Amino acid sequence: MYRKSAAFIAILTLFAFVLTPTMGNAADFAVGTTLENFSLPDTNGKMSSFNDLKGKNGAVIVFLSAQCPVVKQYNERISQIAADYQAKGIAFIGINSNHTESAEWVKTNAAENYKFPVLIDKGNVFADKLGATVTPEVYFLDAKNTLLYHGAIDNDKSGKAITDPYLRTAFDSALSGKAIEKTRANAFGCSIKRVEK
Amino acid sequence: MSFVRIAKSGACAAVFVLCLSASIIAQANTGAGNSAPVVAAPRKAPVVKQLNIAGLRKSLTPAGKPLLVNFWATWCDPCREEFPDLVKLDAEYKGKIDFITISLDELSEIARDVPKFLAEMKAEMPAYLLKAEDDDAAIAIVSKDFTGALPFTILYDVSGKQAYVRPGKVKMETLRAELDKLLSPPTTPASK
Repeated sequence: MYRKSAAFIAILTLFAFVLTPTMGNAADFAVGTTLENFSLPDTNGKMSSFNDLKGKNGAVIVFLSAQCPVVKQYNERISQIAADYQAKGIAFIGINSNHTESAEWVKTNAAENYKFPVLIDKGNVFADKLGATVTPEVYFLDAKNTLLYHGAIDNDKSGKAITDPYLRTAFDSALSGKAIEKTRANAFGCSIKRVEK
Repeated sequence: MSFVRIAKSGACAAVFVLCLSASIIAQANTGAGNSAPVVAAPRKAPVVKQLNIAGLRKSLTPAGKPLLVNFWATWCDPCREEFPDLVKLDAEYKGKIDFITISLDELSEIARDVPKFLAEMKAEMPAYLLKAEDDDAAIAIVSKDFTGALPFTILYDVSGKQAYVRPGKVKMETLRAELDKLLSPPTTPASK
């Protein structure tokens, strides 16, 4: 009897595992998960690895877009946050996964707006791996590549009435050795323009 | 001779022009036959109502019919691209379902770009603009599958249960199939 139940549970577990979506689901890469090192080409075509780019206190991966108006609204804030925290050992790494934006366009946009590297995720393979869906969307990882915070930069895309600067709060907590209270927050933005599969 | 002939010709030409003008004026006045003159009335821009989180919660509650909700924004290219199909769908299922659109534009656009776009689209669905106190909380109310990426379309059955969710552009055939499934009469179990 017990053996039959155990076998049934094992089969169910196996099915659940097999049927669990592995692409494009934001729950795939959850807070507390460790990210394996990865390499992607930058806007000059040079391969760059995450472990080489990250800072001594970790890194932020920020999914960007050259055309998304919400990203444009955030660009100044992103640059300011990057400047404030790069000095504290947290590196910024931009990722562009939109198949609708040419490499040349991404390169020009990156040069105009960011002082940190922007990597090109052709075929949105990396976005799929992390389950990233929206721009801008951030993943804050510590020096051991463990995900500490995922989601929105703050709670007001217009920037006029921010009451919860999620990312800055997460940085400050991590840098002072405190637990991050809000580890996940969503915000409205542009969908990542994925290739049709 | 020549003077008389010229005078006669002139009189003829004047009469012809007069007749032609009278005929044109008469046509214009009667509206070209029996039909009334067709003048395209300027389309009235739809009224877009503002929603907060409490309003959002209320608007996502079905009122006796399946409820289809489309989240969009004028700044979202794929949202604008799929809008004509959504307008067609609304006409097709009018009376059978409730269909609302919720814009995520800035509040400053509630009487400007949002109604302008809806008027261009000839959209008749009730239109709202969400200005949430907290976007994260608003997104969580809608669906666990919603990350805030636009467009996003969700269909609730009469009981408020999520029947179809589509992050990104809607696949119309799939949505139609889901709507038809919800609208088809329940099959009665065979009597024993």
